[in-house]
Formats: sequence, structure tokens, C-alpha cells
Amino acid sequence: MLTLKNVSAGYNGIDVINNISLCVKEGENLCIIGPNGCGKTTLIKAISGIIPHTGIIKIGGTDINNMKREQVAKKIAVMSQISTIYFSYSIYETVLLGRYLHMKGRTFKEPSAKDREYTDKCLKAVGLFNIKHKQISTLSGGQLQRVYLARTLAQEPNIILLDEPTNHLDLKHQTELIDFLKDWSKYEGHSVIGVMHDLNLAIKLSDNMLVLDNGNIAAYGSTNEIISSNLLNEVYDMNVTEYMVDSLKHWESFGLCHPEPKRRIS
Amino acid sequence: MKIKFKIILSIIFSIMVVIMGVGLGSVNVPPSHIISVILNKIFSAPLPSDIEGTTAISIIWKLRLPRTLLAFLVGGAVAVSGSVMQSVLKNPLASSYTLGVSSGASLGAAIVIVTGFNIPFLGLFTLPVTGLIFGMVTVFAAVKFAAMMDKNLETNTIILVGMVFSLFVNAILTVIMAMARDHLAQLTYWQMGSFSLKDWSSVIILFPIVLIGIAVLQNYSKEMDIMTFGEEQAFTMGVDVHKVKWILLSLSAALTGSAIAFVGVIGFIDLIAPHVVRKIFGSNHRTVIPMSVFFGGSFMVLCDLIARTIISPSELPVGAITALIGAPFFAYVYFSRRKGL
Repeated sequence: MLTLKNVSAGYNGIDVINNISLCVKEGENLCIIGPNGCGKTTLIKAISGIIPHTGIIKIGGTDINNMKREQVAKKIAVMSQISTIYFSYSIYETVLLGRYLHMKGRTFKEPSAKDREYTDKCLKAVGLFNIKHKQISTLSGGQLQRVYLARTLAQEPNIILLDEPTNHLDLKHQTELIDFLKDWSKYEGHSVIGVMHDLNLAIKLSDNMLVLDNGNIAAYGSTNEIISSNLLNEVYDMNVTEYMVDSLKHWESFGLCHPEPKRRIS
Repeated sequence: MKIKFKIILSIIFSIMVVIMGVGLGSVNVPPSHIISVILNKIFSAPLPSDIEGTTAISIIWKLRLPRTLLAFLVGGAVAVSGSVMQSVLKNPLASSYTLGVSSGASLGAAIVIVTGFNIPFLGLFTLPVTGLIFGMVTVFAAVKFAAMMDKNLETNTIILVGMVFSLFVNAILTVIMAMARDHLAQLTYWQMGSFSLKDWSSVIILFPIVLIGIAVLQNYSKEMDIMTFGEEQAFTMGVDVHKVKWILLSLSAALTGSAIAFVGVIGFIDLIAPHVVRKIFGSNHRTVIPMSVFFGGSFMVLCDLIARTIISPSELPVGAITALIGAPFFAYVYFSRRKGL
């Protein structure tokens, strides 16, 4: 579905990522991990077309350089991080904007009944349907993140790119988001590519992992292969496994380990 | 209150303001006479016997109606322009003036006034046309320069370059004014704006420009909504950000440029009207654009009414009234919103 071959990209003529090659199949989830400054966000920006790249990025066999902006946006949606809200909209209005490309071509880009239905469906999926008339300026960071997720889903993409999507979420909403994305890719046959700092969440979401170090691929393979190797310790320059196990032991000592979250989105 | 109800109320309010603008002055004319004269002139409907042959007909048709409609058009145009600029530049204090429209137009007007330059087939319209051209050229130069400095055409770059261009053109204007003291009063008066002695020709020229400009901008309302969330987001949602930004900035500058070319520089309406509209109707540009026309237009008509009646028979420049009312009103609207009052 998505293939990268020798992709390099960066800013002001200086490459931040070098010769990245990977392949993401339909229904597969990929997490990009690595220390700060390794090029994770740059890779997401290159795939989404925000910054130019050298090498080849193909979606469904077509080079994105040969696709129009709107063709790319119909295939790939980027769930953005929370940023300043300059002008407030209702939750419904914000999510409806995700239907932009589907409304284009109509007089004054009026939404159709299908656009409205699909928007409601996305709002229900993230549990915000009952408060859809609330202004987004009044929402918590977690609620706003879910609004942006709903807007991303409203785009009807095949691939969702996430850049540290759990930044503003508490633990409950973090796990709900990851569970939701796993279900979305599993049942819809779509893919999620996410930049993650939290290794636990990355392990939970991903089928495959890409480990970046200083702009280069340090490892690329199945999640199980990556976490069972010693490579993470080298890349993060610390004993990652020991830290995780210690943390778990601490919880276990209080008898507080719950293997699954009790509630899910929708 | 439902948004449709608010829209209907706003339209009724605007119609009442226009009727008030036409009716009030040194000679007060009742609304029924205003409607009768309009129907008579457009549909040749018979006039009531009590106004037939009176000066009221001339006052309404030749003086007050074109002046009031021109004020409404100018107010509507600059208000829409302001709401577009604020959205595109993601700055609640932005307007076409930020990019140097008024400075450029003032410079053009100053050159015409000081040199007496006259384009033969334009006659009296030499001043507004030159003002428009200079205003537009300043904006294009500013945006082009910003694009050369920053190929992504970032908002902050546009605002900074716009301010630099505006200050530079203002400096040239100051030099011209210092050197041409004989024309100082005329130049100063133009920079404060006035609807005095405006007739139907200005309305007829401005109406299609404003109508087309607003219709095209209305067609970009979704793009404006999306762009308020940031350009990267807009890009990944399929908006051709660079192209749309150019179109919106150009159209917005053209609207303000055309409007002020006829009447001189009038400030604050482009700042106030969008804020009031957003406070009442929300931020959706599908509503903000048309409602800015009604609020900007009505506010301008009221300011012109005050300008021509407060020290009657003399007149104040309307720009002075918009600033006197606008500055404190803007502070109230902006800070009360921030405090959630």
C-alpha cells in the first residue's frame, strides 16, 4: 500500500533522514520510535508531503510526486498535534471540515447528507456525538485530541499518520485511542503509521516497528523482533528492558497489575 | 437563539439602518417617502401627492441614497476583507492595512493631488483608480517579497514584510506632504475618508466589484475555516495552501483597495465587524463573510450619519468617527471575549 525507497528529507537543504526504505501493507500498523531528534517527525512530514523528499514514496503503486495534493489527501490523513485555537468552532463544524475533499466541486462546497451522516458516524466513534455542539475552545486536551481524530477519520483515508498522538491524553484516553486505532485498521483494512515516545503504547499498537537513530534506520521489523533484541538499549543509550521490567515489578508488588483496560471508546 | 433567526434579525437591522441613513439629516424624511421615491424611480410607481414636486425627492434620490448605499458597500467590503485577512494570517488584529493597502493608496492619492495628474478618459476617477492601483501594487510587492524571503509564505513573514512595506510607503508619503504644504489639508482629509458629494456613479462602479469579490471569497469559506487550524493541517487535508493564500490575500486587498479608493482611508471597521460577527454567529466563514457585509455596512452607515449630522451643517471626516467609536468598542469586544464576559 505504502512503499518508501531510499527516501531522504530535511530542512533548508540539510537532510535529517537518510535513505529510508520501508513497506506498509493494508491493515498493518507501523510505529516509528527513536530518541529525540532522530528524524521521526521529519519522516512523517515527508510521507505526508509537507516537506519535499528525494527517493520514491508510492501509495498504491503511484509515486506521490505524480499525484495531485487532493489525491494524496484522500489516501493519507495526518492527525495533528494540538495547537493554538485562533477562532473557535463547534465540535461538529470542526469534524465536518474533514469532509472538505468530498465537498469540493459543489457550489460553495455545501456538505451533502452523506457528509453529515459520515461526520456523525466519526463523532460517535470517538464518543463525542452527545456534545457535538460544544465549542472546541472549551474542551480539555484529551477531548480536543479526539475531535482531531474524528476529523482525520472523516477524511476517509487509507492511511493515518500520527505524530505523538497521545501527548495530551491521560492514561485512560491513551489506551482508548490505541485500542480504537487498532480496531480501525483491523476491521477497515487500513493502516496506521505513528510516531511514539511511549514504548508501551507503541508495542500495543504496532505490528512492525521502525527504529530511527540519527536519521538512519537502526532496525526495521516485527514488533516482537525489535523489542526482544538489545537494539533499543543501544539506540536509547539506556537499559530499556530493565527499566520496563522494574516498573512492572513495582506495580506487581502492590498487586495492581490489570492486563486490559476496562472501557473502550464507543 | 437559532442562527437563522439571528441572520434574519441582522438583515432587518441593516435595512432599518439604511432607511435611517437616508431619512435623517438636515431635512428629515419619513421611511414611507423613501420607499415611495425608490419605487417611483425604479418601477415608475406613482408618488404620493404630499411629496410630488418637493426637494425631498432630489434629497433622497440624488444625495442621500447613493451616499448611504456607498457607505454600506464600503463598510461591507472592508469588513469582509478584514475577516479574510484575520483568518488567513491567523491574527485577530490583521487587516488589509497590515499589508500596506492604505499606505499605498494614500501615496497614489497624494501623487495625484500634488501633481494634478489626470488620466484623460478617467477624469474625476483618476484619484480613486490611482489609489487602487498603488494600494494593490504595495500589497502585491509585499506578498511577492515575502514569498522570495520565505518560499513557504509563512504568516509571520507576510505580516512583518507587510508592516515594513507599509512603514516605508508611509515615510515617502510624509516626505511628499512635508514638501507640498499647499495640499496638506486635502491630503489629510483624504486620509480620514469621507462620503461627501458621492453620487450614483461611485455606487454603480463599486457594486459589481464588491459583489463579485464577496461571492468568490464566500466560495473559499471552507478553505478559510481549515486554514485557521494551521497551514500544515490545511495542506494535509487537501487544501492548496499556497495558491489559496495568494487568492485570498489578493481578493481581500482588492476589496479594501477598491472601497477606499472612492472615499479615502477608513479604519477600524475591518477590525471590529469580524469580531462582532464571530461573537454572535461563531467562526464558520460560511456565515462570517455575508454577516460581515451586513455589520460592516450598517456600522459604516451609522458612522457616516453621525459624521454629517453631529456638527451640521458642517461635516466631520467619517474616518475620525469610525476611529472614535471603533477604538473603545474594539477594546471592549476583544477583551470581553478573552475574559469570557
